[in-house]
Amino acid sequence: MREIEGFSILEESDGIEALDSAWDGPETFIFLPERSGIKDDWLFTQLREVPSHYRRERFCLLTSGSTGEPKLVFGVRQRTENLARTLHLAQNSEHVRTTVLTLPLTYSFAFVNQWVWARVHNRRLGLTNGLSDARKLAKVLDETQDSMICLVGAQIPLLSRTLGESSFEGVIRVHFAGGPFPESELPTIHKMFPRAEIYNNYGCAEAMPRLTLRKAEISDVPNDVGPPLEGVRLRITDTGDIEFQSEYRVDAQISESQFEPINDEEWFPSGDKGEIAGNGHLILHGRSNAVFKRYGEKISLMQLSKRVGEVWGSPAMFYNETDGSGEPGHVLVLSPIPEREEVLEILRVLRNNFPRAHWPLRIEALDEVPLLPNGKEDIALISNNPSKIVLWTQRI
Amino acid sequence: MDSKNIGTVIFGGNVNENPSRLADLLMDVFLLEPDEYSLDLSKADVDTWDSLGTVAMAVGIQEEFGYHLSPEEAIGIESVQDIIHILTEEGVEFD
Repeated sequence: MREIEGFSILEESDGIEALDSAWDGPETFIFLPERSGIKDDWLFTQLREVPSHYRRERFCLLTSGSTGEPKLVFGVRQRTENLARTLHLAQNSEHVRTTVLTLPLTYSFAFVNQWVWARVHNRRLGLTNGLSDARKLAKVLDETQDSMICLVGAQIPLLSRTLGESSFEGVIRVHFAGGPFPESELPTIHKMFPRAEIYNNYGCAEAMPRLTLRKAEISDVPNDVGPPLEGVRLRITDTGDIEFQSEYRVDAQISESQFEPINDEEWFPSGDKGEIAGNGHLILHGRSNAVFKRYGEKISLMQLSKRVGEVWGSPAMFYNETDGSGEPGHVLVLSPIPEREEVLEILRVLRNNFPRAHWPLRIEALDEVPLLPNGKEDIALISNNPSKIVLWTQRI
Repeated sequence: MDSKNIGTVIFGGNVNENPSRLADLLMDVFLLEPDEYSLDLSKADVDTWDSLGTVAMAVGIQEEFGYHLSPEEAIGIESVQDIIHILTEEGVEFD
Protein backbone atom coordinates (compact mmCIF):
# COMPACT_ATOMS: atom_id res chain seq x y z
CA MET A 1 0.00 0.00 0.00
CA ARG A 2 1.33 3.45 -0.88
CA GLU A 3 0.11 7.02 -0.73
CA ILE A 4 -0.29 9.54 -3.55
CA GLU A 5 -1.65 13.05 -3.07
CA GLY A 6 -2.97 12.05 0.36
CA PHE A 7 -4.85 8.99 -0.97
CA SER A 8 -4.03 5.43 0.10
CA ILE A 9 -3.50 3.28 -2.97
CA LEU A 10 -4.54 -0.36 -2.49
CA GLU A 11 -4.06 -3.20 -4.89
CA GLU A 12 -5.83 -6.52 -4.74
CA SER A 13 -2.64 -8.27 -3.60
CA ASP A 14 -2.71 -6.15 -0.43
CA GLY A 15 -5.41 -8.55 0.76
CA ILE A 16 -8.87 -8.46 2.25
CA GLU A 17 -7.65 -7.22 5.63
CA ALA A 18 -6.11 -4.13 4.05
CA LEU A 19 -9.35 -3.50 2.21
CA ASP A 20 -11.37 -3.88 5.42
CA SER A 21 -9.04 -1.53 7.21
CA ALA A 22 -9.26 1.09 4.43
CA TRP A 23 -13.06 0.85 4.46
CA ASP A 24 -13.12 1.36 8.24
CA GLY A 25 -10.87 4.41 8.03
CA PRO A 26 -12.14 7.92 7.35
CA GLU A 27 -10.12 8.69 4.23
CA THR A 28 -11.05 7.99 0.64
CA PHE A 29 -8.89 5.21 -0.80
CA ILE A 30 -8.09 4.08 -4.32
CA PHE A 31 -8.49 0.36 -5.12
CA LEU A 32 -6.62 -0.72 -8.24
CA PRO A 33 -6.38 -4.00 -10.15
CA GLU A 34 -3.16 -5.98 -10.22
CA ARG A 35 -0.91 -5.06 -13.15
CA SER A 36 -3.28 -2.27 -14.17
CA GLY A 37 -0.47 -0.49 -15.96
CA ILE A 38 -1.49 2.69 -14.13
CA LYS A 39 1.55 4.80 -13.34
CA ASP A 40 1.92 6.83 -10.17
CA ASP A 41 2.52 9.95 -12.29
CA TRP A 42 -0.88 9.44 -13.93
CA LEU A 43 -2.55 9.03 -10.54
CA PHE A 44 -0.81 12.13 -9.21
CA THR A 45 -2.13 14.17 -12.14
CA GLN A 46 -5.64 12.83 -11.69
CA LEU A 47 -5.84 13.20 -7.92
CA ARG A 48 -4.23 16.56 -7.22
CA GLU A 49 -7.41 18.57 -7.98
CA VAL A 50 -9.80 16.48 -5.83
CA PRO A 51 -11.63 18.81 -3.37
CA SER A 52 -11.31 18.01 0.32
CA HIS A 53 -14.98 17.00 0.61
CA TYR A 54 -14.32 14.01 -1.67
CA ARG A 55 -11.25 12.92 0.25
CA ARG A 56 -13.32 11.30 3.00
CA GLU A 57 -15.84 8.45 3.29
CA ARG A 58 -15.45 7.36 -0.30
CA PHE A 59 -13.60 4.78 -2.34
CA CYS A 60 -12.29 5.06 -5.81
CA LEU A 61 -12.31 2.40 -8.54
CA LEU A 62 -10.78 2.42 -11.99
CA THR A 63 -13.02 1.94 -14.99
CA SER A 64 -12.80 2.53 -18.71
CA GLY A 65 -14.44 5.70 -19.96
CA SER A 66 -16.45 6.02 -23.18
CA THR A 67 -13.24 6.93 -24.98
CA GLY A 68 -11.51 3.79 -23.72
CA GLU A 69 -9.25 5.91 -21.52
CA PRO A 70 -9.18 4.85 -17.88
CA LYS A 71 -11.12 6.99 -15.44
CA LEU A 72 -11.63 7.01 -11.69
CA VAL A 73 -15.08 6.94 -10.11
CA PHE A 74 -15.80 7.98 -6.51
CA GLY A 75 -18.23 5.70 -4.69
CA VAL A 76 -19.78 6.81 -1.41
CA ARG A 77 -19.35 4.07 1.18
CA GLN A 78 -22.68 4.61 2.92
CA ARG A 79 -24.54 4.54 -0.39
CA THR A 80 -22.77 1.38 -1.46
CA GLU A 81 -23.61 -0.35 1.80
CA ASN A 82 -27.22 0.69 1.26
CA LEU A 83 -27.11 -0.90 -2.19
CA ALA A 84 -25.75 -4.10 -0.66
CA ARG A 85 -28.82 -4.14 1.62
CA THR A 86 -31.15 -3.50 -1.30
CA LEU A 87 -29.50 -6.28 -3.31
CA HIS A 88 -29.73 -8.65 -0.36
CA LEU A 89 -33.52 -8.33 -0.37
CA ALA A 90 -33.99 -8.16 -4.15
CA GLN A 91 -31.72 -11.17 -4.71
CA ASN A 92 -33.28 -13.19 -1.89
CA SER A 93 -29.84 -13.70 -0.35
CA GLU A 94 -30.70 -14.33 3.30
CA HIS A 95 -29.86 -18.04 3.01
CA VAL A 96 -26.50 -17.42 1.36
CA ARG A 97 -23.62 -18.10 3.79
CA THR A 98 -20.61 -17.67 1.51
CA THR A 99 -19.82 -15.77 -1.68
CA VAL A 100 -17.22 -17.40 -3.93
CA LEU A 101 -14.92 -14.96 -5.71
CA THR A 102 -13.94 -15.66 -9.30
CA LEU A 103 -13.70 -12.08 -10.57
CA PRO A 104 -11.25 -9.38 -9.46
CA LEU A 105 -12.64 -7.42 -6.53
CA THR A 106 -11.63 -4.21 -8.27
CA TYR A 107 -14.44 -4.91 -10.73
CA SER A 108 -17.37 -2.92 -9.32
CA PHE A 109 -19.79 -5.85 -9.77
CA ALA A 110 -17.73 -8.20 -7.62
CA PHE A 111 -16.73 -5.41 -5.25
CA VAL A 112 -20.32 -4.53 -4.33
CA ASN A 113 -22.23 -7.75 -4.99
CA GLN A 114 -19.68 -9.81 -3.10
CA TRP A 115 -17.21 -7.99 -0.89
CA VAL A 116 -19.42 -5.14 0.36
CA TRP A 117 -22.43 -7.45 0.58
CA ALA A 118 -20.45 -10.01 2.62
CA ARG A 119 -19.16 -7.28 4.92
CA VAL A 120 -22.55 -5.68 5.51
CA HIS A 121 -24.30 -9.01 6.10
CA ASN A 122 -21.47 -10.73 7.92
CA ARG A 123 -21.06 -13.51 5.36
CA ARG A 124 -17.93 -15.42 4.37
CA LEU A 125 -15.78 -14.89 1.29
CA GLY A 126 -14.71 -17.99 -0.65
CA LEU A 127 -11.32 -17.03 -2.04
CA THR A 128 -10.15 -18.63 -5.29
CA ASN A 129 -7.74 -17.75 -8.07
CA GLY A 130 -10.62 -17.51 -10.51
CA LEU A 131 -10.63 -19.53 -13.69
CA SER A 132 -6.84 -19.57 -13.82
CA ASP A 133 -6.87 -22.31 -11.15
CA ALA A 134 -9.86 -24.48 -11.99
CA ARG A 135 -8.92 -27.16 -9.47
CA LYS A 136 -8.97 -24.72 -6.56
CA LEU A 137 -12.20 -23.15 -7.79
CA ALA A 138 -13.87 -26.56 -8.04
CA LYS A 139 -12.63 -27.45 -4.53
CA VAL A 140 -14.03 -24.24 -3.04
CA LEU A 141 -17.33 -24.68 -4.87
CA ASP A 142 -17.51 -28.30 -3.68
CA GLU A 143 -16.77 -27.46 -0.07
CA THR A 144 -19.02 -24.46 0.40
CA GLN A 145 -22.66 -24.82 1.24
CA ASP A 146 -25.35 -22.27 0.47
CA SER A 147 -22.99 -20.17 -1.58
CA MET A 148 -23.25 -17.47 -4.20
CA ILE A 149 -21.05 -17.04 -7.25
CA CYS A 150 -20.79 -13.95 -9.46
CA LEU A 151 -19.81 -14.35 -13.10
CA VAL A 152 -19.92 -12.71 -16.48
CA GLY A 153 -21.49 -14.55 -19.40
CA ALA A 154 -18.21 -15.07 -21.24
CA GLN A 155 -16.95 -17.22 -18.35
CA ILE A 156 -19.54 -19.96 -18.82
CA PRO A 157 -17.94 -21.67 -21.85
CA LEU A 158 -14.59 -21.49 -20.04
CA LEU A 159 -16.07 -22.88 -16.82
CA SER A 160 -17.73 -25.62 -18.78
CA ARG A 161 -14.45 -26.51 -20.46
CA THR A 162 -12.30 -26.36 -17.32
CA LEU A 163 -14.74 -27.97 -14.87
CA GLY A 164 -16.18 -30.47 -17.32
CA GLU A 165 -19.36 -32.24 -16.26
CA SER A 166 -19.03 -31.17 -12.62
CA SER A 167 -22.07 -29.86 -10.83
CA PHE A 168 -22.07 -27.90 -7.61
CA GLU A 169 -25.01 -28.53 -5.32
CA GLY A 170 -23.78 -26.06 -2.71
CA VAL A 171 -24.24 -23.04 -4.94
CA ILE A 172 -27.68 -21.55 -4.45
CA ARG A 173 -27.25 -18.20 -6.23
CA VAL A 174 -25.56 -17.45 -9.54
CA HIS A 175 -25.28 -13.82 -10.56
CA PHE A 176 -24.30 -12.47 -13.94
CA ALA A 177 -23.24 -8.93 -14.69
CA GLY A 178 -23.39 -7.01 -17.85
CA GLY A 179 -25.68 -6.38 -20.76
CA PRO A 180 -27.74 -9.16 -22.28
CA PHE A 181 -28.38 -12.20 -20.11
CA PRO A 182 -26.48 -15.26 -21.42
CA GLU A 183 -29.76 -16.98 -22.30
CA SER A 184 -28.18 -19.56 -24.59
CA GLU A 185 -25.99 -20.78 -21.71
CA LEU A 186 -28.92 -21.46 -19.37
CA PRO A 187 -28.94 -25.27 -19.83
CA THR A 188 -25.21 -25.37 -19.00
CA ILE A 189 -25.70 -23.09 -16.00
CA HIS A 190 -28.58 -25.21 -14.66
CA LYS A 191 -26.53 -28.37 -15.09
CA MET A 192 -23.51 -26.90 -13.35
CA PHE A 193 -25.48 -25.27 -10.53
CA PRO A 194 -28.64 -27.39 -10.22
CA ARG A 195 -29.91 -25.79 -6.98
CA ALA A 196 -29.16 -22.18 -7.85
CA GLU A 197 -31.46 -19.27 -8.45
CA ILE A 198 -30.00 -17.36 -11.37
CA TYR A 199 -29.98 -13.58 -11.73
CA ASN A 200 -28.74 -11.02 -14.20
CA ASN A 201 -27.44 -7.70 -12.87
CA TYR A 202 -27.33 -4.78 -15.27
CA GLY A 203 -25.49 -1.57 -14.49
CA CYS A 204 -22.27 0.34 -14.95
CA ALA A 205 -19.39 1.48 -12.77
CA GLU A 206 -20.88 4.98 -12.47
CA ALA A 207 -24.06 3.45 -11.00
CA MET A 208 -21.74 1.72 -8.51
CA PRO A 209 -22.83 -0.48 -10.03
CA ARG A 210 -26.35 -1.91 -10.28
CA LEU A 211 -29.40 -0.49 -12.02
CA THR A 212 -31.72 -3.41 -12.77
CA LEU A 213 -32.12 -7.01 -11.68
CA ARG A 214 -33.65 -9.89 -13.59
CA LYS A 215 -34.30 -13.35 -12.28
CA ALA A 216 -33.50 -15.68 -15.19
CA GLU A 217 -36.95 -17.20 -15.44
CA ILE A 218 -38.92 -13.97 -15.71
CA SER A 219 -38.12 -13.59 -19.40
CA ASP A 220 -36.66 -15.56 -22.28
CA VAL A 221 -35.42 -12.44 -24.06
CA PRO A 222 -31.66 -12.01 -23.46
CA ASN A 223 -31.75 -8.21 -23.69
CA ASP A 224 -34.58 -7.94 -21.14
CA VAL A 225 -32.55 -6.97 -18.06
CA GLY A 226 -35.54 -6.60 -15.77
CA PRO A 227 -37.00 -3.75 -13.75
CA PRO A 228 -34.93 -1.08 -11.94
CA LEU A 229 -33.90 -1.72 -8.36
CA GLU A 230 -35.62 0.23 -5.63
CA GLY A 231 -33.92 3.65 -5.46
CA VAL A 232 -33.06 3.67 -9.17
CA ARG A 233 -34.88 5.71 -11.82
CA LEU A 234 -34.41 5.22 -15.55
CA ARG A 235 -35.32 7.22 -18.60
CA ILE A 236 -34.67 6.97 -22.32
CA THR A 237 -33.53 10.06 -24.22
CA ASP A 238 -34.76 11.10 -27.66
CA THR A 239 -31.71 9.41 -29.13
CA GLY A 240 -32.50 6.14 -27.34
CA ASP A 241 -29.77 6.44 -24.70
CA ILE A 242 -30.43 5.06 -21.23
CA GLU A 243 -29.97 7.56 -18.40
CA PHE A 244 -30.34 6.98 -14.69
CA GLN A 245 -30.60 8.56 -11.28
CA SER A 246 -29.73 6.38 -8.33
CA GLU A 247 -29.42 6.60 -4.57
CA TYR A 248 -26.32 4.44 -4.81
CA ARG A 249 -24.29 5.88 -7.64
CA VAL A 250 -20.90 7.56 -7.56
CA ASP A 251 -20.88 11.25 -6.76
CA ALA A 252 -17.78 12.22 -8.73
CA GLN A 253 -15.45 11.02 -11.42
CA ILE A 254 -12.13 11.97 -12.90
CA SER A 255 -12.37 11.66 -16.63
CA GLU A 256 -9.61 12.79 -18.99
CA SER A 257 -7.87 14.38 -16.00
CA GLN A 258 -10.91 16.53 -15.14
CA PHE A 259 -12.53 16.17 -11.72
CA GLU A 260 -16.32 16.19 -12.21
CA PRO A 261 -18.79 16.14 -9.32
CA ILE A 262 -22.07 14.37 -10.20
CA ASN A 263 -25.15 15.95 -8.64
CA ASP A 264 -27.98 13.77 -7.39
CA GLU A 265 -30.45 15.53 -9.73
CA GLU A 266 -28.29 14.86 -12.77
CA TRP A 267 -29.39 12.17 -15.23
CA PHE A 268 -26.32 10.14 -16.04
CA PRO A 269 -25.85 7.97 -19.18
CA SER A 270 -25.37 4.24 -18.63
CA GLY A 271 -23.50 3.95 -21.93
CA ASP A 272 -26.21 1.79 -23.52
CA LYS A 273 -29.24 2.36 -25.68
CA GLY A 274 -32.58 0.79 -24.87
CA GLU A 275 -36.27 1.13 -24.19
CA ILE A 276 -38.55 0.65 -21.23
CA ALA A 277 -41.18 -1.99 -21.95
CA GLY A 278 -44.82 -1.78 -20.86
CA ASN A 279 -44.07 -4.04 -17.86
CA GLY A 280 -41.34 -1.63 -16.68
CA HIS A 281 -38.48 -3.89 -17.74
CA LEU A 282 -35.47 -2.32 -19.37
CA ILE A 283 -34.77 -3.72 -22.84
CA LEU A 284 -31.22 -3.15 -24.05
CA HIS A 285 -30.51 -2.26 -27.66
CA GLY A 286 -26.76 -2.31 -27.31
CA ARG A 287 -23.84 -0.16 -26.29
CA SER A 288 -24.23 3.41 -27.41
CA ASN A 289 -21.31 2.80 -29.76
CA ALA A 290 -22.95 -0.46 -30.90
CA VAL A 291 -25.92 1.36 -32.43
CA PHE A 292 -24.88 3.49 -35.37
CA LYS A 293 -25.85 4.52 -38.86
CA ARG A 294 -24.30 2.92 -41.90
CA TYR A 295 -25.30 4.14 -45.36
CA GLY A 296 -28.37 5.65 -43.72
CA GLU A 297 -29.38 2.34 -42.08
CA LYS A 298 -29.55 2.18 -38.29
CA ILE A 299 -27.46 -0.78 -37.18
CA SER A 300 -27.92 -2.46 -33.80
CA LEU A 301 -25.14 -4.92 -33.10
CA MET A 302 -27.26 -6.43 -30.34
CA GLN A 303 -30.04 -7.23 -32.81
CA LEU A 304 -27.50 -8.76 -35.16
CA SER A 305 -25.98 -10.70 -32.30
CA LYS A 306 -29.39 -12.02 -31.28
CA ARG A 307 -30.10 -13.33 -34.79
CA VAL A 308 -26.65 -14.83 -35.19
CA GLY A 309 -27.11 -16.48 -31.79
CA GLU A 310 -30.12 -18.37 -33.14
CA VAL A 311 -27.84 -20.49 -35.33
CA TRP A 312 -24.47 -20.11 -33.57
CA GLY A 313 -24.45 -21.19 -29.93
CA SER A 314 -20.84 -20.27 -29.16
CA PRO A 315 -19.30 -16.84 -28.54
CA ALA A 316 -19.92 -14.24 -31.26
CA MET A 317 -18.52 -10.72 -30.89
CA PHE A 318 -18.41 -7.56 -32.93
CA TYR A 319 -15.85 -4.84 -33.25
CA ASN A 320 -16.15 -1.59 -35.16
CA GLU A 321 -14.22 -0.77 -38.31
CA THR A 322 -14.78 1.72 -41.12
CA ASP A 323 -15.14 0.37 -44.64
CA GLY A 324 -13.29 1.47 -47.76
CA SER A 325 -15.69 4.39 -48.23
CA GLY A 326 -15.14 5.67 -44.72
CA GLU A 327 -18.56 4.52 -43.47
CA PRO A 328 -18.73 3.01 -39.97
CA GLY A 329 -19.05 -0.75 -40.08
CA HIS A 330 -18.55 -3.85 -37.98
CA VAL A 331 -16.73 -7.17 -38.07
CA LEU A 332 -18.22 -10.37 -36.65
CA VAL A 333 -15.83 -12.67 -34.77
CA LEU A 334 -16.77 -16.27 -33.97
CA SER A 335 -15.10 -18.65 -31.59
CA PRO A 336 -14.16 -21.44 -31.86
CA ILE A 337 -13.52 -21.76 -35.59
CA PRO A 338 -16.78 -22.93 -37.19
CA GLU A 339 -17.48 -25.55 -39.80
CA ARG A 340 -18.20 -24.33 -43.33
CA GLU A 341 -21.90 -25.18 -43.06
CA GLU A 342 -22.18 -23.17 -39.84
CA VAL A 343 -20.81 -20.08 -41.59
CA LEU A 344 -23.20 -20.58 -44.48
CA GLU A 345 -26.08 -20.79 -41.99
CA ILE A 346 -25.02 -17.47 -40.44
CA LEU A 347 -24.85 -15.92 -43.91
CA ARG A 348 -28.37 -17.21 -44.62
CA VAL A 349 -29.57 -15.55 -41.42
CA LEU A 350 -27.97 -12.28 -42.48
CA ARG A 351 -29.48 -12.42 -45.95
CA ASN A 352 -32.95 -13.38 -44.72
CA ASN A 353 -33.19 -10.83 -41.91
CA PHE A 354 -31.07 -7.80 -42.70
CA PRO A 355 -30.30 -5.51 -45.63
CA ARG A 356 -26.71 -5.60 -46.84
CA ALA A 357 -25.68 -2.49 -44.90
CA HIS A 358 -26.26 -4.49 -41.71
CA TRP A 359 -24.02 -7.36 -42.78
CA PRO A 360 -20.56 -7.40 -41.21
CA LEU A 361 -17.62 -6.28 -43.28
CA ARG A 362 -16.04 -9.65 -42.52
CA ILE A 363 -16.68 -12.80 -40.57
CA GLU A 364 -13.57 -13.84 -38.68
CA ALA A 365 -12.82 -16.65 -36.26
CA LEU A 366 -10.54 -17.34 -33.33
CA ASP A 367 -9.75 -20.57 -31.52
CA GLU A 368 -10.24 -18.88 -28.17
CA VAL A 369 -11.70 -15.58 -27.01
CA PRO A 370 -9.15 -13.41 -25.18
CA LEU A 371 -10.67 -12.09 -21.95
CA LEU A 372 -9.93 -9.10 -19.74
CA PRO A 373 -9.13 -9.73 -16.07
CA ASN A 374 -12.79 -9.03 -15.20
CA GLY A 375 -13.87 -11.84 -17.52
CA LYS A 376 -15.24 -9.60 -20.26
CA GLU A 377 -14.15 -10.06 -23.85
CA ASP A 378 -10.98 -8.13 -24.74
CA ILE A 379 -12.28 -6.41 -27.88
CA ALA A 380 -8.99 -4.59 -28.51
CA LEU A 381 -7.10 -7.89 -28.52
CA ILE A 382 -9.81 -9.60 -30.57
CA SER A 383 -9.67 -6.95 -33.29
CA ASN A 384 -5.87 -7.01 -33.49
CA ASN A 385 -5.34 -10.72 -33.05
CA PRO A 386 -2.83 -12.08 -35.59
CA SER A 387 -4.10 -15.63 -35.17
CA LYS A 388 -7.64 -14.92 -36.35
CA ILE A 389 -8.74 -16.13 -39.76
CA VAL A 390 -11.18 -14.57 -42.20
CA LEU A 391 -14.06 -16.81 -43.25
CA TRP A 392 -16.03 -14.40 -45.40
CA THR A 393 -15.63 -10.83 -46.56
CA GLN A 394 -18.19 -8.45 -47.97
CA ARG A 395 -15.65 -6.87 -50.34
CA ILE A 396 -16.64 -3.26 -49.65
CA MET B 1 -4.03 -12.63 -42.55
CA ASP B 2 -5.05 -13.52 -46.12
CA SER B 3 -8.78 -13.18 -46.40
CA LYS B 4 -9.00 -13.97 -50.12
CA ASN B 5 -7.21 -17.28 -49.90
CA ILE B 6 -9.01 -18.47 -46.83
CA GLY B 7 -12.37 -17.36 -48.26
CA THR B 8 -11.60 -19.22 -51.45
CA VAL B 9 -10.56 -22.35 -49.61
CA ILE B 10 -13.79 -22.38 -47.66
CA PHE B 11 -16.28 -21.19 -50.22
CA GLY B 12 -14.54 -21.54 -53.54
CA GLY B 13 -14.86 -24.18 -56.21
CA ASN B 14 -12.57 -25.05 -59.07
CA VAL B 15 -10.28 -22.01 -59.31
CA ASN B 16 -9.14 -22.96 -62.82
CA GLU B 17 -12.48 -22.68 -64.52
CA ASN B 18 -13.80 -19.19 -65.11
CA PRO B 19 -17.52 -20.07 -65.13
CA SER B 20 -17.12 -21.76 -61.74
CA ARG B 21 -15.05 -18.88 -60.45
CA LEU B 22 -17.72 -16.40 -61.49
CA ALA B 23 -20.48 -18.56 -60.01
CA ASP B 24 -18.60 -18.86 -56.70
CA LEU B 25 -17.95 -15.14 -56.65
CA LEU B 26 -21.56 -14.13 -57.29
CA MET B 27 -22.95 -16.70 -54.83
CA ASP B 28 -20.53 -15.31 -52.25
CA VAL B 29 -21.26 -11.64 -52.97
CA PHE B 30 -25.05 -11.97 -53.11
CA LEU B 31 -25.28 -14.85 -50.61
CA LEU B 32 -27.06 -17.07 -53.13
CA GLU B 33 -27.85 -20.72 -52.60
CA PRO B 34 -26.34 -22.96 -55.32
CA ASP B 35 -29.77 -23.67 -56.80
CA GLU B 36 -30.48 -19.95 -57.13
CA TYR B 37 -27.56 -19.36 -59.44
CA SER B 38 -27.71 -19.82 -63.19
CA LEU B 39 -26.18 -18.23 -66.27
CA ASP B 40 -29.60 -16.66 -66.91
CA LEU B 41 -29.69 -14.90 -63.57
CA SER B 42 -30.59 -11.23 -63.74
CA LYS B 43 -30.40 -8.39 -61.23
CA ALA B 44 -34.18 -8.43 -60.89
CA ASP B 45 -34.05 -12.03 -59.61
CA VAL B 46 -31.69 -11.21 -56.73
CA ASP B 47 -32.94 -9.28 -53.70
CA THR B 48 -29.39 -8.72 -52.47
CA TRP B 49 -28.19 -7.15 -55.76
CA ASP B 50 -28.50 -3.62 -54.45
CA SER B 51 -26.14 -0.66 -54.83
CA LEU B 52 -23.74 -1.92 -52.16
CA GLY B 53 -23.96 -5.35 -53.76
CA THR B 54 -22.91 -3.81 -57.06
CA VAL B 55 -19.84 -2.29 -55.35
CA ALA B 56 -19.00 -5.65 -53.74
CA MET B 57 -19.43 -7.40 -57.11
CA ALA B 58 -17.10 -4.91 -58.81
CA VAL B 59 -14.44 -5.41 -56.12
CA GLY B 60 -14.86 -9.18 -56.44
CA ILE B 61 -14.46 -9.11 -60.23
CA GLN B 62 -11.25 -7.14 -59.85
CA GLU B 63 -9.97 -9.60 -57.23
CA GLU B 64 -10.93 -12.71 -59.18
CA PHE B 65 -10.42 -11.66 -62.81
CA GLY B 66 -8.14 -8.64 -62.54
CA TYR B 67 -10.52 -6.37 -64.42
CA HIS B 68 -11.49 -3.01 -62.97
CA LEU B 69 -15.08 -2.19 -63.88
CA SER B 70 -15.75 1.52 -64.38
CA PRO B 71 -18.62 2.87 -62.25
CA GLU B 72 -20.75 3.16 -65.42
CA GLU B 73 -20.04 -0.45 -66.36
CA ALA B 74 -20.78 -1.72 -62.86
CA ILE B 75 -24.08 0.17 -62.62
CA GLY B 76 -25.04 -0.93 -66.14
CA ILE B 77 -24.68 -4.65 -65.42
CA GLU B 78 -28.14 -6.23 -65.33
CA SER B 79 -27.33 -9.93 -65.53
CA VAL B 80 -24.70 -12.64 -65.32
CA GLN B 81 -24.59 -12.58 -69.12
CA ASP B 82 -23.63 -8.89 -69.02
CA ILE B 83 -20.67 -9.74 -66.76
CA ILE B 84 -19.61 -12.60 -69.04
CA HIS B 85 -19.86 -10.28 -72.05
CA ILE B 86 -17.64 -7.61 -70.44
CA LEU B 87 -15.06 -10.11 -69.23
CA THR B 88 -15.02 -11.96 -72.56
CA GLU B 89 -14.20 -8.69 -74.32
CA GLU B 90 -11.29 -8.36 -71.89
CA GLY B 91 -10.01 -11.77 -72.93
CA VAL B 92 -11.44 -13.91 -70.13
CA GLU B 93 -12.68 -17.17 -71.64
CA PHE B 94 -16.02 -18.61 -70.59
CA ASP B 95 -16.43 -21.40 -73.13
